[in-house]
Amino acid sequence: MGTEHMGASDADLVRRVRAGDTDAYGALVARYRDRLGRYAVHMLGDREDAEEALQDAFVRGYRSLARCDSPERFGAWLYGILVNRCRTAGARAARRRRLFVRDEGALNGTPQPVPAAGTEWDDVVRRALARLAPEYREAFLLKHVEDLEYEAMSRLTGAGISALKMRVKRAREQLQAILKEAEHV
Amino acid sequence: MFEREEQVVERIITLLRQPVGIDPALDRRVMDEIAALRTATHSGTVWRWVAPLAGLAVAATVLVAVARSAGPSTQDLQFVLVAPQAATVSLVGDFNDWDAARTPMRPLRADGPVWSAVVPLAPGRYHYAFLVNGSRWLADPAAPAASDDGFGAPSSVVTVTGGRGT
Repeated sequence: MGTEHMGASDADLVRRVRAGDTDAYGALVARYRDRLGRYAVHMLGDREDAEEALQDAFVRGYRSLARCDSPERFGAWLYGILVNRCRTAGARAARRRRLFVRDEGALNGTPQPVPAAGTEWDDVVRRALARLAPEYREAFLLKHVEDLEYEAMSRLTGAGISALKMRVKRAREQLQAILKEAEHV
Repeated sequence: MFEREEQVVERIITLLRQPVGIDPALDRRVMDEIAALRTATHSGTVWRWVAPLAGLAVAATVLVAVARSAGPSTQDLQFVLVAPQAATVSLVGDFNDWDAARTPMRPLRADGPVWSAVVPLAPGRYHYAFLVNGSRWLADPAAPAASDDGFGAPSSVVTVTGGRGT
C-alpha cells in the first residue's frame, strides 16, 4: 500500500478504486481489517472461519463497489456485506455439524462444556457467547461491541428496531444465566 | 436487573471490545484474489478442470469443466462423481447451504455409475463435497485445492472467475 493512501478519506479511496487504482482498495482493507475481523471472530467463534468470511466480504465489496451509493459510508456498507457473510458461514457450519452427527438425540444430550476452575475469563465469555442463538449474538455484538445505533443495526440486519431491542435484552439475560450456571458470577 | 448482573455484562462487553488481531497477511490474500479476478475479467479466461476420460474408470470423484454460460456472470459447472455402489448422491456446498436435499445428483445413464449435477455459479470461491447414501462424505481429489473444514470433514474448493463460459 502506498503512503499516498494513508490519510485519504474512505470516499476518496473509493473514488480512486473506481478510477482503476486497485491499491487504494488495499488501503481500505487495511483500515477495516481489524474492526470487521473482531465482529467476525466473535460472531463465528472460529478464527479460520472468521478470516474466510472476512476475506470473502472484502472481495465481494470490491466486486460490488459500483453499488456503494455513499462512498463516505463505505465502512457501514461493508459491514452489511460482512454481516451477511457471517450469517451464511454460521448456517453452513451448523449444517455441517448436523450432517456429521447423525444421532440428533446424542447431539442434543451432549452437555455444553463447563469451564474448569481456573479457566481464563475470556474463554468463559467465548463459550457463553457461542451458546447464544445466532440472531441474539448478532444483535448483542452490533449493539454493545460495535456500538451501533438501533437504526443502523436495522439497516444492516433487515430486522425491526423493536425486534432488535428484544434480541439484545434476551442476549444479556442469557449471558448472565449462562455465566451463573458456570459459577463464574 | 441487579447491579451485579449489569456489571457482569459490562465486563463481557469490555472484553469483547478488545482487538482480536487479525493476521495482516489477509490483506495480501484479498488483493491477490482481486488481482486474479481482474486478470480473468480482462483476459476472458475461465478456470476449468476437465476429467480425463481414462480416469473415470477408477476415479472416486471428478469435477468436470464449465459446461456453458447461464447468464452474463454465471457459469454452469458440472460436478461428476463415479460411484458404482451408490444408491443416492447429493452435492453439498456453500452454494446450497450444505443442504443435502437441494442438489441431488442423477446418474448420467440409468443404473450407470456416473452421477452428475449441474450448478450455476456466480464468480467466487466455493467449498463443496459429495454426500453418498446420505452418510458418506467425499471430497474431490481432482479439485485444484482442498482444505479441512474444521469439523473433521474433507471438502474441496472450486473457484469460478468472472469470464464467460463457452
